[in-house]
Amino acid sequence: MKRLALDEISLDRRPGARAGVLMNSSADLIARACAGDPEAFRLIFERYSRPIISFLYDLVGDRELAEELTQETFVRAYRNLSTMREETKVSTWLFGIARNVAREARRARVRSSRHVDLDDESVLELSDTAPVPVDRLLGKELNSLIRHSLAALDEDKRLVFTLKVFQQCSYEEIAEITGFSIAKLKTDLHRARTEMRKRIRPYAGVTYEM
Amino acid sequence: MKCEVCLQLLEEYLDGELREAEVAPISAHLVACASCANEFEALTAEQEIYSRYDRELDISATMWNQIAARTVELQHTIEQQPNRTWRAWFAVPSLSWSFAGALAVLLIAIVLGVSYFRQAELNREKQEALSSEPANPVKPGKIEQKTGPTVAGISKQEGKRDLANANVPHHQNTPKLKTMAKLNAPSQKPAADQSDVLFSDAAYAAVEDQETQVHIENAQNLLRSVRNIEITDDDSDIDVTYEKALSRRLLNENIVLRREAEMSGKFPTKELLSDLEPFLIDIANLPDKSAADDLRVIKQRVQKTEIVAALQGY
Repeated sequence: MKRLALDEISLDRRPGARAGVLMNSSADLIARACAGDPEAFRLIFERYSRPIISFLYDLVGDRELAEELTQETFVRAYRNLSTMREETKVSTWLFGIARNVAREARRARVRSSRHVDLDDESVLELSDTAPVPVDRLLGKELNSLIRHSLAALDEDKRLVFTLKVFQQCSYEEIAEITGFSIAKLKTDLHRARTEMRKRIRPYAGVTYEM
Repeated sequence: MKCEVCLQLLEEYLDGELREAEVAPISAHLVACASCANEFEALTAEQEIYSRYDRELDISATMWNQIAARTVELQHTIEQQPNRTWRAWFAVPSLSWSFAGALAVLLIAIVLGVSYFRQAELNREKQEALSSEPANPVKPGKIEQKTGPTVAGISKQEGKRDLANANVPHHQNTPKLKTMAKLNAPSQKPAADQSDVLFSDAAYAAVEDQETQVHIENAQNLLRSVRNIEITDDDSDIDVTYEKALSRRLLNENIVLRREAEMSGKFPTKELLSDLEPFLIDIANLPDKSAADDLRVIKQRVQKTEIVAALQGY
């Protein structure tokens, strides 16, 4: 089974991707950015900003905060360009920075006791109503369902689930980003999938019985 | 493949994390087993739902502008510190609290260790000074006076002694040589040069104890041998050549070991060797063909004083 590479995903999903970007490998861009080429760093941002903001949004569940943390991630990446090891994938490196940034934000949030709610959209009353098949779920409702299911996971499980299911990282990359052992991340991933399934499957049942 | 195994590996199969050797049996099982195939389809459907998840996030131009502004500012700050590298050579290293704490603990441990060893050394020096004070008292002097003629006597009877020593195992001579060498060594060495004294003394003491133990065993055997000599009533002389030669050798060892025990403050050992010495002297001074009465006196003293039991208790 072919696993989609992060670079392919980020480019495919971005309608405004330029052909010129394809001519620049990530390693070349990093080398050029290290040498002080501002255009190279802009291209790195274009290539990786969407997966990074998605990842951060999945972790913190707040749109504005995710945007702030994305900025912070790229500023830190710029500051530490020279410390990036050659054998590390750029995406893995950026996810690692983003994960630290998100963790620090969460700690600061705990310290200031400021509670950040999920988006203000109306929440689906999942438990009170009969399941509605996915086909009939409107896009917004499906998004809300997934977002709330994610928010119910604990931090480690949400982190591993997001990196695997949404960002298509390999187990090794997840281990590098999170610092978890492969055994731990496998367990967390399995438990996260099980918990998510409990919430999602009733709505997906009709679809895969077709 | 059993369904349980297949289901256990299904998520990794979906994730593409299995090795090729593991993939083939699962693929084959999914073709054959409808139940597992359904489970796999369900997983795939879940994955499909997740792939439709749209967070409705936009990457605004403002975001890049803000990042660009911050990076330019950062670059400007770096450029305004041209001597940073130069200054770094002279910068005081900043220690984190944990590292500083560990360093402090290490320093305390080193200080305590050094003071402990210095104290131990001082105590040992004091002990040596105390034990060396009564080094010239009356008792050893007397013994030396007694042993003087005996040693001279030995040299006169060199041939006989050699014959007697031929019966004694060779290794019994070795400790004596070692001990004599060691006894001379500290006297030649300046007192101040004691830099390696800690470990060499410990090793030295161990060898010394072993030698004393062997010596006492030999003395014990000698005294038992004398005690068991059968004395008949016909007053005929008894041949004690072997006992005499052995006693002379043990006497020399005894003097050396007694002094060493005294020097190192092992007073019970020193007392025991002091008690043993008169017996060794008496046996060493016996004529080769001893009179029954002379031997009887020694035998009675050995029995009365229970010197053998004392030696055995060492």
